[in-house]
Amino acid sequence: MIISGHWHASGGAAKTTAALHIDNDVVVVKANEGVVLSCHLRDVNVSDRLGNIERKLTFVDIGIFSTKDNAAIDRVFGSLQKTNRCIHFLETHMAAVLVALVFTITVSFSFFKWGVPWVSETVAHALPHKTNELIAAESLGFLDEYWFGESKIEAQRQEEIRDHFRTQLLPLDEANQGINYRLHFRSWNHNDKKIPNAFALPSGDIILTDQFVILADNQDEMDSVLLHEIGHVVHRHSLEMVVQSTLVTTIVMLVTGDSSGVADVGLGLGALLVSSHYSRNHESEADIYAFEKMLIAGIDPQAFSTIMGRMDEYMDETFHTAEVENDIEANVEIHGDTGADIDAGSTVAADVEIHGENDQEENAAVIEKAGNASDYNDLMNYLSTHPETEARQKKAQQYSDCFKQGLTVCDVQ
Amino acid sequence: MKQLTFEGNGSEYFKIWIVNILLISITLGLYYPWAKVRNHRYFYGNSTLEGRNFDYHATGKQLFVGYLIAMALFLVYVLVGEVLPLGAPVLLVVLFLAIPWIVWRSVMFNMRMTSFSNVRFGFSGKLGLAYINFLLLPLLFFVSAYGLPIAAAIIVPMYEGSMPAYAGGLIAVAVIVSMALSVYFFALMQKRNTSYLINGYRYGQGEFSTELRTGAFAKITLKTFGLSLLTFTVVMMLVGTAVALMGFGGGFADLAQIGNVENPKEMITNLIMGGGAAAIALGYIAMIFAVFFLMAYMQTRQRTYVLENTLLDNKVAFVSSLKARSLAWVMGSNFLLIILTLGLATPWAKVRVARLMLENTYVDAGDGFDQYVTQKQEQQSSLGEQIGDAFDVDIGVGI
Repeated sequence: MIISGHWHASGGAAKTTAALHIDNDVVVVKANEGVVLSCHLRDVNVSDRLGNIERKLTFVDIGIFSTKDNAAIDRVFGSLQKTNRCIHFLETHMAAVLVALVFTITVSFSFFKWGVPWVSETVAHALPHKTNELIAAESLGFLDEYWFGESKIEAQRQEEIRDHFRTQLLPLDEANQGINYRLHFRSWNHNDKKIPNAFALPSGDIILTDQFVILADNQDEMDSVLLHEIGHVVHRHSLEMVVQSTLVTTIVMLVTGDSSGVADVGLGLGALLVSSHYSRNHESEADIYAFEKMLIAGIDPQAFSTIMGRMDEYMDETFHTAEVENDIEANVEIHGDTGADIDAGSTVAADVEIHGENDQEENAAVIEKAGNASDYNDLMNYLSTHPETEARQKKAQQYSDCFKQGLTVCDVQ
Repeated sequence: MKQLTFEGNGSEYFKIWIVNILLISITLGLYYPWAKVRNHRYFYGNSTLEGRNFDYHATGKQLFVGYLIAMALFLVYVLVGEVLPLGAPVLLVVLFLAIPWIVWRSVMFNMRMTSFSNVRFGFSGKLGLAYINFLLLPLLFFVSAYGLPIAAAIIVPMYEGSMPAYAGGLIAVAVIVSMALSVYFFALMQKRNTSYLINGYRYGQGEFSTELRTGAFAKITLKTFGLSLLTFTVVMMLVGTAVALMGFGGGFADLAQIGNVENPKEMITNLIMGGGAAAIALGYIAMIFAVFFLMAYMQTRQRTYVLENTLLDNKVAFVSSLKARSLAWVMGSNFLLIILTLGLATPWAKVRVARLMLENTYVDAGDGFDQYVTQKQEQQSSLGEQIGDAFDVDIGVGI
């Protein structure tokens, strides 16, 4: 068999017309009517097939035979290039490519849906509690400096809440006694309007804003939110978030590493959707933790629904809906912030959402009205880090039904 | 003058690209170095001049170790950013100090791994000059561009309203000086960077050389700046008109309410608000395309200027025939294609850019290339190149 091509002496740019003669296992290169070399088939170094680019047969220190006749080269040397043949088969068969595509999408989807949460949960729980204190070390000071003011709740009332928290709620959590929980009271205003909120830092520091304490009508309502916050701490959501965003950022970087900057826009949005999804899962987890503990403590889970609804209403009345429209962009930007996210494991115990951007002086607050069926809201729900109030209230209702039957364990789907 | 050509095509590259992504995802990223090699080989191998082609010689195995180290560094960088808010800026400074070294190593590695007609390229630039070009000059530019505003932000509040009468004039002069300085340093930086790279390039025993003037870069920068001002003014006016229309729409709706006709009011408001919103959206899109055009304008002008002043061994000459509008068109339509197909059109986009660039490049080969021979050089590790890749450090002359 004869394959025609060109001959380059080793390292030289000059080329001459040449032919490759293959006879059984012997390869002979002929150029200008003369034999340049002959050797065994196995001693030839053949470059991998890639599209239809020129194939190069390297004879070390002697020269290179190059040819465009890829088909002939594959016939002769194919059996020696097994890995390359598999890849080339994929690269040339559209059906195989489609199967590969579906496979890739399924694998990536499963990886982000189950793989990343599983890995982060495992890693987060394998680390000592000290890690939680480490990541929260500067957070409270930071929040005090940029967001919060001193609380105006009377010291006596603060002590009452702390006492109740210590004696009634903490004992419910037998398994995690190593955590040092502390309650903090702070005032938080945005545009001179008071914001009701509760946060948990991974270290076990729980912050209640004044307006939240005022809005909570009774002990059950306050307990429901406090238990939700304990849920975040017990489940180590902040730590999980750190692991998750590290994973997601690195993976997005890996996959987009060879794509153009323009495509990154789309992938950035993808990463944002993924992390909002994880965040919503965390909220549901903390809700369920709270409901289960409430059943044991003999508190009607309905209380959680009530306080969420009241905070919701308060936010609606206080902040005019028009403000929401103006904050669309701010909201998207803030959600996209992958910096050290103090808010990661904290929560607003309502669908009333307040997201602060850590590294800017301006604390943009975004208030979203539930059940408003505009396109904007649909989009925002999708991007939202919190599940919809209605869904959460429905879950509370299911647990409340168990409570009314006198159950302490509830099997909810 | 012979034209460079690109022989690959989008659908062929699409399959290579998608298989790469598939293998990268199922190996959780470990396949990346091999994927990168296939990508490079596809583009280099399909670039030809007079029947001779380019080739990329790095192997996946060769890139792998550097890749692992770069990944570990990147992971540390992300983790530190997550946990210590102050850690990330510190690491960024470290990275900034390392950039000249990364650029130097990457250029050396990449040139060494590239061949044309069986002869390797090379790079002989010095590390010390890399620090001047990629650290000192960018710093000078940033200081000249941002130094004054920052100084003003610090000084002005100290006077608290009791500013002397001549302060206004002083500020105006300072602004003009700062702008002139930043244009000068920007042009100087581009001229020095480009000269450093090109004068360091080797082809076999042949040496590339270029003589560039700062003035030429400054002229291109100023023209681009003038064009930007013009475009942004036009777009702002368009958006302003749209906003005014919306305001008018609101007023009109109120009038309708006096007549107590509910449906027309809503209809008119929606109509006009919708029109205004559409105008703003259009303005936004127009802005994106204007930015593409401005980028293309600057890039093509520089390319034309640099190529026509570059020689290989004082006899092989180069010409660029690239037009700003064709580059802007390819960039803009690629952008839309990629967005609309959620990234699936990326291979076609890349092939279009490669084809446009090559087919607008002409070479006057003089005596031809036959006398060139690869020069022996030490083997180099790919570490610098891989770190640059991980942190998206942009390297090389954009030709």
